[in-house]
Amino acid sequence: MKSATLDIDRLREAVRQLPNRGLAPSREAALAHLDEHGLPTLRDEDWKYTDLSPLVDISNRWLHAGGHQPTSADRPDIADAIPGSIDAIWFVIADGAVDATPIGHSEARGIQVSRLSDAPPQFAAGRPLADLNAALRQDGLRIRITERLDKPVGILLIDRAGANVGVTQSYIEIEVAPDASADLIEYHVSDGEQDHYANSVLTLNIGEAAEVRHVRIQNRAKRHVQTGRTSVVPGRNAALRMASYDLGGALIRNDIDIDLGQPGADVSFDGLYLAGDGQHIDNHTRVDHRVGPATSSQEYRGILNGKCRCVWNGKAIVHKGADGTDARQANHNLLLSEKAEIDAKPELEIYADDVKCSHGTTVGQLDEKALFYLRSRGLGKNHATRVLTHAFAADLVQRAPVTAVTGTITDLVESRLGELIEADFIADLLT
Amino acid sequence: MLDIKDLKSRIGESEILRGLSLAVKKGEVHAIMGPNGSGKSTLAQVVAGHEDYEVTGGTVDYNGQDLLELSPEERAREGIFLGFQYPVEIPGVNNAYLLKAAVNAKRKHQGLDEIDAFEFLKLAREKMALLGMDPKFLNRGVNEGFSGGEKKRNEILQMAMLEPKLAILDETDSGLDIDALKAVAEGVNALRDPERAIILVTHYQRLLDYVEPDYVHVLSHGKIVRSGDKTLALELEERGYDWLREAATG
Ligand SMILES: Nc1ncnc2c1ncn2[C@@H]1O[C@H](COP(=O)(O)OP(=O)(O)OP(=O)(O)O)[C@@H](O)[C@H]1O
Ligand SMILES: [Mg+2]
Repeated sequence: MKSATLDIDRLREAVRQLPNRGLAPSREAALAHLDEHGLPTLRDEDWKYTDLSPLVDISNRWLHAGGHQPTSADRPDIADAIPGSIDAIWFVIADGAVDATPIGHSEARGIQVSRLSDAPPQFAAGRPLADLNAALRQDGLRIRITERLDKPVGILLIDRAGANVGVTQSYIEIEVAPDASADLIEYHVSDGEQDHYANSVLTLNIGEAAEVRHVRIQNRAKRHVQTGRTSVVPGRNAALRMASYDLGGALIRNDIDIDLGQPGADVSFDGLYLAGDGQHIDNHTRVDHRVGPATSSQEYRGILNGKCRCVWNGKAIVHKGADGTDARQANHNLLLSEKAEIDAKPELEIYADDVKCSHGTTVGQLDEKALFYLRSRGLGKNHATRVLTHAFAADLVQRAPVTAVTGTITDLVESRLGELIEADFIADLLT
Repeated sequence: MLDIKDLKSRIGESEILRGLSLAVKKGEVHAIMGPNGSGKSTLAQVVAGHEDYEVTGGTVDYNGQDLLELSPEERAREGIFLGFQYPVEIPGVNNAYLLKAAVNAKRKHQGLDEIDAFEFLKLAREKMALLGMDPKFLNRGVNEGFSGGEKKRNEILQMAMLEPKLAILDETDSGLDIDALKAVAEGVNALRDPERAIILVTHYQRLLDYVEPDYVHVLSHGKIVRSGDKTLALELEERGYDWLREAATG
């Protein structure tokens, strides 16, 4: 299968229009690398379930329309973008433009913030989509956390998909100093309903014995395409609790790489995806256990309704010598419709001796016995379905590692589930 | 109140109820006994509206309405309660949530406002005390990890909160210790009322010592083969079912 290719010549022009000329050398290098290697296709093992042509199509349309990225980011109102008030120190990346001034709390003790353009990095060849990000990014946000913070740090990524087709890149580097502690919130939303492609890169370096709790919420508009790579390097005895909630978007692909190169690290990362008609949500995770002892555990859960497709691919590699590794992965899916499709694939590669590894995946339908039980108590079919799907997601909602956002997540999940089931209910009435 | 005439029902290929008739008037307590697999639970599930059981013949009238036309939730809101032989575990759904949602579904149907949160808790605690249930059960998942007896008590708690017009208790007495049996019997007796009717599906005389039935029926091969008063239960305890089974098939 031949997939569409990016219009590299126009891309080059778009890159030359970008502000922050200090980033030009790394952009040019990224462009050359991208030109040479191209974007992944369905033939690539890691991409066989996810066709990137919608993204290429949006990008080419955007390039043909001039390939402009809005640069004067007037600050969006956080309260408008995020339901519920989350008490956090907020930073905003609007249409890829970085605002390094904190909002919400003027005094941000223990946090150092700068832009990528303040000290442009050398280009380091990455994956194709990371190259695209490096070529097209306007700027980046660097956050260094040096203390044990008592307020969460939030980053709002908002894209204005108003009048025209758009493409934006966001780049975030977070470094947490040894013994520091931080709650992080990453919140992706759209302002507008047009076709839009957002591509994000986030790196998180966690110092020795530091603790990080990270919540990522993706609640994009219906025609939004998003790809993102999160790379985490935990230090010795570092602890990470991460959870990801994918609620919106048309085509979503998340890659998480966790590189455990120091002993004593303890990481867990969970994910919840709720997909309805027309959605495609792909989560690829990879953990490299290079030394032991270290613990990694992940649990992803999905609720799918209507014609949609989700992918979970969890790779854990226990390298030679990584004795004392404990790696656990689980993926559970609830399919509410026969049209919903899930590809769930655990991949364990073990080259060490003394390891504990486990994996389990399940794909199931709504429990008919439970449904009847609830209805026999007077709950309507719709209500009962909602209660049961909610119960399926409840654990992951309650376990949200940043307690300041638990309420917001609860509300978002509740209303998204309501939409999913309501749609089904209406379809039931029509057929 | 409930008038079942010549009811036939099947699941998949097998016919389970084969022309069953039963009339229950308000104020009455009926006991249904019968061998394993004779169709007692099927009858209870059909009355509650389980869609896996296909009704192939007969009628069920409930207070002047065609019961078979109603969805399970409508039946519940109209005052029918089924205590399940095997209550379902629903992890992640809070017991208190279900109780409240059930009470409110019924109240809404009656045109009443939702129950006040404080009022609800007070009522639930009261009923639990009566049944000897620890209030902690309110905050657990519905039947999640409950012992057999705890599940049965939980069914009675739901019944007590919903105050049904017609309660069908499918072997609620099975697997109970003596104290639990007494508690359940008290729960049932508390519901006894000239306006209500109760159907007890049971294998044992024990429950009937505490809750005296007005009528006892024997169900065999999907039909009621014998009806009598409470002495029939005693006779069954002594003689078993064989003498009746022959009567039914012969
Ligand atoms: N889902 C089902 N699929 C196939 N057969 C079923 C199903 N449910 C019930 N049956 C059959 O119907 C018959 C009646 O079952 P039912 O549960 O009503 O019996 P019962 O009288 O309640 O028995 P017990 O005293 O053991 O509870 C049994 O032979 C049973 O195997
Ligand atoms: Mg039974």
